[in-house]
Formats: sequence, C-alpha cells, structure tokens
Amino acid sequence: MEGVPLYGYILLSALMFAIGTAGVIIKRNPIIIFMCIELMLNAANLSFLAFAKYHTAPLATTALEKWNVHMTGQMAVVFVMAVAAAEVAVGLGIIMAIFRMRHGVDIDEMSAMRG
Amino acid sequence: MEFITTSHAEHAPDPVFHWAWLILLAPIAGFLFQAALGRRIELALGRGAGRKLLGFAAVLPVLAGFVVSVLLAIRLAGMDEHSRLVITSWFPWIDLQTLLVPFELRIDPLSLTMCLIVTGVGSLIHIYATGYMAEDRDYPRFFTYFNLFIAFMLMLVMGNNLPLVFIGWEGVGLCSYLLIGYWYQDIENAKAANKAFIVNRIGDWGFALGIFLLYWVYASNQDLLPLGERRYLSFDVILPLAEQVLAGYGPLVVSAIPLLLFVGAVGKSAQWPLYLWLPDAMAGPTPVSALIHAATMVTAGVYLVARTHVFFELSTLSMAVVAGIGAFTALFAATVAFGQTDIKKVLAYSTVSQLGYMFLACGVGAFGAGMFHVTTHAFFKALLFLGSGAVIAAMAHNQDLRNYGNLRKYIPITYWTMLIAWLAIAGIPPFAGFWSKDEILAGAFFSNLVQTPQILWLIGWVTAFLTAGYMTRMMMLTFYGNEERWRKAEAHAHAVHTHEHPHAEHAAHEEHDTAYFLSEDEVRALEEEEHEHHHDLTPEHEPHEVVPSMWLPLAALAVLSLVGGAALSGFNPFAHLLGWHLPHLFEGWNHPSVGLSVLDEASAFRESAAIEWALIGASIGAAVLGIGLFARRYIKGLPGSEAEPQGLQRLAGEQWLYDRTMVRLFVDTGGKFANAFYRIFDSGIIDGIFVNGSAKLMGAMGLLLRRSQTGSVRFYALIIAIGAAVAMSYVIYITTR
Amino acid sequence: MEVQGFGILSLVVLLPVAGAVTALLMPRHLVGFHRWWALLVSGLTLLASLQLYVGFSGNTFHFQWREGMDWLPALGIRYQLGVDGISLWLILLTCLISFLGIWFSFHVKERVKEFMIWLLVLQGAMIGVFCALDLVLFYIFFEATLIPMYFLISIWGGKNRVYSSVKFFLFTFLGSIFMLVAIVALYFISKTATGEGTFDLIALQALAADGRLATGPIEMWLFAAFALAFAVKVPLFPVHTWLPDAHTEAPTAGSMILAAIMLKMGTYGFLRFAFPLFPDAAVQAAPFLVGLSVVGIIYGAIMAAVQEDWKRLVAYSSVSHLGFVMLGIFSLNHNGLTGGTLQAINHGISTGALFLLVGMIYERTHTRLFQDYGGLKRRMPIFATLFLLIMLSSVGLPSTNGFIGEFLAMLGAFQAGANANSAIPLWMPVIAGAGVVLAAVYLLWMFQKVFYGPIRNPVVNRLRDIKPWEQAVAWVFVVFVFWLGLYPKFFTDKMQTSLNAVRHQTLQPPGARPAWADVRTIDINENGDVVVVQREDLNDLGKWTEVAVRTPSEHQPQRLAMGGGDE
Repeated sequence: MEGVPLYGYILLSALMFAIGTAGVIIKRNPIIIFMCIELMLNAANLSFLAFAKYHTAPLATTALEKWNVHMTGQMAVVFVMAVAAAEVAVGLGIIMAIFRMRHGVDIDEMSAMRG
Repeated sequence: MEFITTSHAEHAPDPVFHWAWLILLAPIAGFLFQAALGRRIELALGRGAGRKLLGFAAVLPVLAGFVVSVLLAIRLAGMDEHSRLVITSWFPWIDLQTLLVPFELRIDPLSLTMCLIVTGVGSLIHIYATGYMAEDRDYPRFFTYFNLFIAFMLMLVMGNNLPLVFIGWEGVGLCSYLLIGYWYQDIENAKAANKAFIVNRIGDWGFALGIFLLYWVYASNQDLLPLGERRYLSFDVILPLAEQVLAGYGPLVVSAIPLLLFVGAVGKSAQWPLYLWLPDAMAGPTPVSALIHAATMVTAGVYLVARTHVFFELSTLSMAVVAGIGAFTALFAATVAFGQTDIKKVLAYSTVSQLGYMFLACGVGAFGAGMFHVTTHAFFKALLFLGSGAVIAAMAHNQDLRNYGNLRKYIPITYWTMLIAWLAIAGIPPFAGFWSKDEILAGAFFSNLVQTPQILWLIGWVTAFLTAGYMTRMMMLTFYGNEERWRKAEAHAHAVHTHEHPHAEHAAHEEHDTAYFLSEDEVRALEEEEHEHHHDLTPEHEPHEVVPSMWLPLAALAVLSLVGGAALSGFNPFAHLLGWHLPHLFEGWNHPSVGLSVLDEASAFRESAAIEWALIGASIGAAVLGIGLFARRYIKGLPGSEAEPQGLQRLAGEQWLYDRTMVRLFVDTGGKFANAFYRIFDSGIIDGIFVNGSAKLMGAMGLLLRRSQTGSVRFYALIIAIGAAVAMSYVIYITTR
Repeated sequence: MEVQGFGILSLVVLLPVAGAVTALLMPRHLVGFHRWWALLVSGLTLLASLQLYVGFSGNTFHFQWREGMDWLPALGIRYQLGVDGISLWLILLTCLISFLGIWFSFHVKERVKEFMIWLLVLQGAMIGVFCALDLVLFYIFFEATLIPMYFLISIWGGKNRVYSSVKFFLFTFLGSIFMLVAIVALYFISKTATGEGTFDLIALQALAADGRLATGPIEMWLFAAFALAFAVKVPLFPVHTWLPDAHTEAPTAGSMILAAIMLKMGTYGFLRFAFPLFPDAAVQAAPFLVGLSVVGIIYGAIMAAVQEDWKRLVAYSSVSHLGFVMLGIFSLNHNGLTGGTLQAINHGISTGALFLLVGMIYERTHTRLFQDYGGLKRRMPIFATLFLLIMLSSVGLPSTNGFIGEFLAMLGAFQAGANANSAIPLWMPVIAGAGVVLAAVYLLWMFQKVFYGPIRNPVVNRLRDIKPWEQAVAWVFVVFVFWLGLYPKFFTDKMQTSLNAVRHQTLQPPGARPAWADVRTIDINENGDVVVVQREDLNDLGKWTEVAVRTPSEHQPQRLAMGGGDE
C-alpha cells in the first residue's frame, strides 16, 4: 500500500482535535467556538475514514464482507456530518436569538444558568 | 328470610312467639315514621292536629309492644316451668366460618319482664311526653329519638346473643346522647350529652373485651359444643355450658369474664366510678330523664348481670366486687343527694344509689331480688321523675328546690302521686319499694357468698335511712313549708343569646350567592320563629296543675307504686312468716332465668323467724327514722343555713370532689397533654426533625453543590477536556499495563 | 380459565383512561361537557364493574376474570389481571367512590377539564392496582396513582398545597422505591429457582408455597421493603405525617379518594403481596406491625382530638381507623382478616363520606376552623342528620358498618393475643379498645363544635341547607353504612374463601400452603381428606402438571401457630 501511512492520518487527526479543544476553551466568540467544535468533529471523521481504509478485517472472507467493514466507518462519518449540521443549525439559531436580545454574544456573559 | 323458632319444650313451640318481633319492630317503624314524615305531617296538618297525630303515632308502637308482651307473658306462663324459653331467629347478621350471629330473640321470663317494664312504663312516659313537649319547637325530632330509644332497649333485653345486646347497649347510649343534647343550642347540654356517650363507651370497652374473651373461651372448646355450632356468643349456647367449659380454665379467666361484663354494667348503670354521666344527663327534657332512669338504659346493667349470672356465680371474686361496688355506690350517691338543690339532681343521685342497691342484690346472689327492685324502682322512679316534671312545668321551668314551697296547694294531683312514690322509695310498707328493698337487705344479711355479709347489710340499712332522709328533704322543700319562696325570689336574669361576630370578615364571602345563602329577610323570619316564649319565675307566678295527658300517667304509676310490690311479692316475706300460702309471684316467674334467690337457697340461715322479723323491723325503722328526722328539719321550709349549702353538705353536693377531680385529671390535663404531644412530637419531632429535617438536609447539600455550576461555558469545556484526558489516560494505562 | 388478550377487567381499567384521552381532545371551554362526560365514563365503569360482582364465585380462592398476555417476554413481564374476593370489593369501592367524587366535583369551577381528566386517570390507575397480577404491572399502577393525585393536590388544593403535594409524593415514592428493588430481586430469585425469571405473582407465590422463593434474612429484607412501601401508604405510625397534610389540602374529591381508596392500597398490598410471597417473614414481623398499629390507633385518636381544623381532624381519624385494619389483618385469623378487610371498605365509606360532607360546607364558607362554626344544626338540619349518621358509622356504633369491621378486627386480635403460644401480646388488642373510646371523644367533640351551641358566625347564620343533589350523594353513603352494618353477609360471603387462602398461604409450613397456581382435581382418598394437586408449569403457563399429593388446609384445619380456635 502506498501513500500516507495510517499514523500520519492519526497524527493529523489528533492535532486537529487538540487545536479544536484549545479553541473551544480559550475563545470567547461563540462562532469561533462553533468552528472549533467542527474541527474536533472533523478530526474524529478523519480517524474514522483512516481506520475504514486501513482496517484489514481478518475474519472477513468474502468480498462483500470486506466491503461491509469498510463501509461501516464511512457511514459513521456521514452520520457525524449530519449531526454536526443539525447542531450548527440549532446553535446558530440560539446565538442569533441571544444576539438580538442582548446585542452581543460574549460567551462569558452568558451565565444565566449559573447555579 | 323466615322466622325460625326453637324452644326447649318437647313439642314445637307455638308460632305465636313470632309476634315477639313485633315488640321490637313496632318502635322501629314508629321511629322511621317520625323521622321520615314527622316534620312534613306537622307542616301539612298544622301544629295542633299534626302534633296530635304524631303523638298518637309515637305512643301506639310502644303500647302495641306492651300488649304483645302481655300476651306472650301469659302464653309463656302457661308453659312448663323449665321449658319457658323460646328463641326465634330471623336472618344472619354476622355470618363467618368462625362465627355466626343471627338476629334472634330470646323470649324467657327475664326478657319478658324487662319488655313489660320497658314498654309498659315506657308507654306511660310517652303519653306524658306528648303533653310535656307539646309546646316544643322540635316535636317530631323528640319522638323520633324516643321511639328509637325504646327500640334499642328492647333489642338489648330481647337479643339472644351478646352482639345483639351490644347493639341495644350502644344504641341506648346513642339515644341518651341525642336526648340529653336535645336542646342543643345550649352548649352545656351538648357537653353533658358528650359526657354521657363517652363515659358509657368506657364501660362498653370492658363489655366488648368480655365478649371477646367469651368468644375465645367457647371457640377454643368446640368439642363441648353441639356439632357444627357456630353461635359462640348466643345465650342459649353459652349459658347452659358455662360451668362445663370454664372448668378447664384458671381463676384468671373465670373471674375476668364476669368482671369485664360488669365493667360494661358499671358504665351503663352508672355505678361508681363511672356514674359521672348520669347527673349531667339531667340536661335533657324531664320525660327523657324518666325514660333513662326508670324504664330503660340504666337498668340494662342489672339486666346484663342477671342474664349472665351463671358466669358471676362461678367466680366468688366477681360477686364480691359486684356487691362491694354496689354497696359503695348506694351509700356514696345517697350522701351526695343531700347536697343537691336541683330537684332532678336529687332524683338522679337517688337513681344511682338505688342501682347500687340492685347490684348489691346481684353481688350477694339474690339476682331475683335485684330484678324485683328494678321493677318496683321503675314504677316509683318514673313516677318521681314525671312528678318532678309536673312541678318544673308548674314552676316555669325553674328546677331549684329552694324556690319551691307549699306546692301541694297548687298542684294536688302531682302532690298526692308523688307522695306515694316518696313512701315507696323510702321503704314504707305496703308501698312497692319496701318489698324489694327488704328482700335485698335480707339477701345481703343471709348471703353465703361473701364473708361477713352483715357489713353489706349495714351499708344497705344506712343507705335506706339516708334515702328516706333526702327524699323527705326534697318532698318537704317542694310541697310543704308555709312560705312560698319564689314569691320572694328575685326575677332571674335570663341569659340572652347574643350573636358575637368573631369572624366577621367571612361575611364578605359569597355575599350574594342565594343558592347557598339565605337572604336577610329569610334569616329574620327564621330567627323570629325560633324565638322561644320563655317566661321566668316571677313573684307573681301562679303554679297550675298539669294537663290530663300528663297526670293520667302519674296516676297509673301511683297505683303501681302503691300495690305493685305487694302484689308481685305475694306479701312475702310476711306471707311465709305468718304461714299464709301466697306464692312470691315475681320469683316464681323469674327463677328459671335468674336462678333462685338466696332467700330460698340459704334457707339454712333462715331458721330463726325472729331474725327475720328483726330485719323487717330494722328496715321499716330506717325508713321511719329517716322520714321523721328530716321532716322535722324541713317541714317548716328551708332552714336559713341552707340557702347556700355549707360545709359537709356542700362537699357532698360536689360529689366529694370526685367529678371535679376526674374532669381535671382526664379532660383538662389530658387535653393539655394531647395538645403538647401534638405540637412537640407530631409536628416537632416526626414532621419537623425527620420529615422536613431530611428535606432540609438535602437542600443544604444542594446548596453546596450548586457552587460548581459557575455558568461559564468555557470553564465547563475545560473541565470536560480534563475529564476526557484523565479518562483516556486511565484507559491507556490499564490496557498497556 | 384465562382470557388471552383483553376482557372485562381491562375494560374497567381502560375505560376511564380512554375517557380521559377523549376529554383531552375536547376544548377546555366546554365545561359542561367535561363534567357530564367524566360522570358518564365513571358511571359506565361502575356499571361494568358490577358485572365483576355478578359473575363472581365465592367458592374458590383462585383469581377470577383472569386475563393475560405477554408484554415484555424477554424480561418475563406480563400484562396479567384478575380479581379475588379481596380485590373485588376494593374495585367496586373504587368505582363507587370515583363516581361519587366526580359527581360532587361539579362544584369545581377552575380548570374543569384538567380536573376531570386527572380524576379519570386516577380511577383507571387505582383499579389497575387492585387487579394487577404481575409485580411490574402492579408497581406501574401503584406509582401511576401518585401523578394525578399530585396534580389534584398541587393545583386545586388549599393554601398549603405545594408543600403538601410534594410531601405526599416524596413520602410515598420513597417507600415504593424500595419495593421496586425487592421486585427486581424477586425476578432474579425466581430465575435461580426455576431457570426463568418472572414477575408473575401467581408463579412467584407458587414458589413461595413450596418455600423456594426466599427464606431467612433475604425474605425478611424483601418483606421489609414491601412492608415499608405499604406502611407509608396505609399509613402506619410513624410514617403517617404526609396524610394529614395531603388530606387537608386536597380538593374534596381528592380527599375522598385518598382516604377511601389510596390508603387501602397499603392494606391490600399486605394481603396480596407481602403475606403470600413472604409468609414466614410476615408472621415474624406481625407483633411489631401490630404494635405499630396499636400505637397508630391511640396516637391518631389523640392527635385528632386536639385539631382545630375540621378536615385535619378527619384526616387524623384515618390514621386511627387504619390501625384497626392493620390490627385485624395481622392477627392472622379468620375473624381478624375478615374484620380488617371489611374495615378497609368501611373506612372508605365512612371517611369518604365525612370528607364529602366537610367539603360541602367548605364550599360555602371557605373555612375549616372549628371556631368559625357552631349551631350549624339550626340552619342545616338535613345536613346535620346526614353528618350524624356518617359520624356514628365512624364512631363504630353497632348496626352501622364501622362496628362490624372494628368488632371483628378486635375480636381477631384478641383471639390471637389470648392464645398462650401467640407472638402478639394480649395487651395490644386491649389497648386498641381504648381507640374506640377515643373515637367517640374526638368525633363527638367535632360534632359539638360544629353543630351544637349558639350560632356565632353571621355567615353560618345565613346558610341554607344542602341541595337535593348533594343530599343524594350523601344518601348513597348512608345506604352503604347500614347495608354493611346490618347485612355484612352480602359482602363477607364472597370474601371468606380468598381470606382463608391468604391465611393458609401465610401460616402453613412450606409444602402445605395453597397456591393460586394450583388446580384441585378433587381426588379424595379413603380418608376423605387428601386431594391431588395440579400446578401450572412456570415455564409454560397454561400447562398443568401433577406435582404433589397434599392435605388441603381448607378441609382439614390444623392447629396453627397463631389464632388458634379458628374454624
């Protein structure tokens, strides 16, 4: 097999995830936080795809079975993307509502749920 | 549901005994009639005609019961002496695999004796009440209760099993409650009614435990009972087998049964220590007092003891207790009667005292004599109460003896009839009271059931003397004396009920809701109607003799008080002492039910006619002495020193402080204790500490935890990231180890 | 004998629920519709429940009108219903009280639609409690009754309604959560015993009848968990304090149902579940629980006597009266069990009616304090008469229903106590008798404070007597007071066999306990007293196998450890 080895994908995925996490924690703008969350989700997607491609499926014998194993990982990616899209739609809606109400979206000021 | 009748006779019993149900059902029908239609009839026919009809309808069932009782008594008397027991049963009441309690009536001499008293004296009191209550606002309600009272009393005396007796037992308690609190707008009457019911209930507690104990004893000995018999509480099952069944039990059980039953009797028959309710029961209208005291209710205890005498006879201890309590109560109440200024209270304590006499008779084994005294007492006590009612009616409902005087001039019929009752209760021959009282005293003297019965006799003798004394005091103050004290009495301020308005703010509620509330006009009309025409005892007052419907019963009872005792006893003991062959009718009739009186059983002691003559002499002597001494003191009128009772007399009047102590101990202190208990234990400890305390503990923990919810999203994200990192590290650590 | 699918019992359970769903779909402003609809549905349920009585045989202790089907077969949970002589009367009582409660709730003016819906849901759930034969199903119904009652109290209640409703919910929930744990434990125990776990009461009891369900300390703990749930519901001292608050604050129909039916779930639970499943533990715990009952009788009575709030007094009287029910049941002999069960019904009638009557006045005057009343009899003679009759039944006057129950319960307890080898000391029933005296004290005081004396309150002075339709509701109760009081045989006849079964299930040694799973092909041997018993196969319900030859307790009474002198 040629090209990028598996550890390359994983390394990139880990890097993306770490950047995303750091962004969520340190950024105060909810839009950027959203983007960072997307980054984290895509990091996970990348891992899925990489494993789907490199997984050897030792017990799979027929071609169909092998194909199935590959497809499982790829299906997960589609699910994650769909969920992410839904989440963004809802989240942006909430942010818009808050913005209209408070004329600002600093995440540190949104602490109405404080105990 | 059909009536089934059984009897001890060889041949099938006469179906005429089914009519016994009529005795019971007639007053029940009367009760239902008055309750359902009374008010309507009064409205439809007007007060005059309506009340005539209702009064007639009230007397009729009781009178019918009396007629049937007489017929049955004649039929029963015609039967063989030892088969004078008929049981007629209807449908089952409690029917379990372990217990059968049918509705069954017992017709035997004892129950018929009681029936005759209850319906006979009862119907006289009913007739009297139609006159006495004629002006009352709630005429139908009165006779509703009155008929129900008779019905429950008949259930009590005719029921063939203890639960049926218990229905009547508590039922008369209920009726006394309703009737004592009949004039309920006075809160004191309501309190007296409560007291009657509650004190009776204490006795009923003992009675119920006695029933439970009997059940346990008989249900544990089924092998001694007829095969398949489940009527463990029916008299015809338990009474004949008493000795046999109880033979297997120690003295604890054998004594506990009669003593527990006796606790019930103490409550119902107003013996010390539970007599407290009876004097307060005077709050009811006077016919009620007559009914409670003479014909019904208080005699129930004596009846119960006589009915279950076999259990008492098996335990010497219980006999001694019965005799002791009876004697003590007789003496105690007689002393208290001297301190009373209310004419009805004098009679109330005299009832307590006379009931003590009856228990004294039972306790020494003379059950027949006890029942005989029940009978004669019913005659003269009913007469005394109805007479006092006539006096009270004549005196504008003033009951204070001190305001009476020389009334014989104004109400001669009442005077002459009460004179007979007075001599009867004092024990002057040939009036009714003498015969039964003498029998009891002789029974006490000769009893072989307790040690030194002569002490009991002595107490009885002193009581006889005191009885003659306080009755003389009452009669003298009422009918004699040359001055008419009420002429000098100042008009008594009549308490006017004012409407206080402690919570006037509620008036604002629903001001115009006519569905729930009356309009101002309607309220005014109602209040107008309720205003009772009440006039007070004034110096210008002229007492009037009562109407015929009231004095006719007095006359009938006077005849009974005059000749009843002599006729029923067949002039015994004179007859047998003088060698006349006159049978003791009452004993001859009743002994199959209550056993032979000690007079015959202890005949060994009675060989000396001299002793007996001496006893009779002593008995008459006590009466004469009592009358003589107190007539001298009171015949001129109220001694100045007694305008307000002083010293010992006052102490006696306050029941030697017994009532007050009991009230303070149980009502006041008990109430305070219960209140404190509620506040400290129920609200404080259980609810406060445990229930709300644990809730508060949870709340406090929540307060601590909420600090962690800062509301900063980025802080939450950091915590999540750290948590994820820690979890991840742990997984890596354990998988690579 | 078992209907697969739905039968009349399901109809009775689901009819009110279906009625509630229908009402849900209708607009809220149709107040009249909601009232009459709820009454109609409840009336139809009552009619349908009468069919249960008509076709009921008092000759067998087996469940009748049985119906069942698999619900969650993987977990061994079945939808299984049935009635016997104990639950029959409670179902009829539920239908009656619910009907009358809804009828009286025509008084309610606010949020009528929701009120009626909650009442109907509550009725369905309560009937479900009394006929569920699967522990999970029972638990669901048991908890489901809390929700409507919670809302009834917290929305339509008095001033202190929020506190009371939360207290009520948490209190009863706390008790039953332990029961849930015990139910799950029973599943695993039955799995160990037979290889297949089940929540089926009949199957579990069959195991208990052979002593294979749970023994020793485990049985004790499981019994304790069940007993706690039921004791809170009854309520036994000292877990009773939710009751005065909930009863007092609830709207009238809620108080009626709480007192008349929901308390009976506790006593019913003991009879139906705690006794048959944990017989030895029940016998061991009897003296303790009888002791608590006696304390409750006296304690409730004393507390009732010092209340200044009319409704609260009646609520405390329930604590006292339920003590008699428990006293009778735990005396474990025929008299006591019959008395306790009857007293449960009696209390439903009497106290339900008392709350109803208090509610009538509260509706007019909006006060429950005694100091605001006095002399009411003068303005409301009919009401006073009705109240007197009901009060007398609560006092336990002979010839009313209250007497029969209390008499038999105390007779049974006395009988149990008098036996020398009994674990119940004799003083307990003797002391319980004082409760009867105290009942007279607080009830007569109540009557005196409200009805006697002069009229002090101008509002009372203007009251009209109650209306004919209100009288009609109350007269229904009065009829039952005297029906039960004068001819209890009508009720006890269909009760005795089932109570006998419970008693023998509890008192007999393992192996001789009758099981609901048994079918008796009466095969009498030469002695005339032994029958062959067939038992339903636990792994294959509906299939019967012959398992043992045993002496049926009903035919040959044994001298039992407790309550001897029976039969």
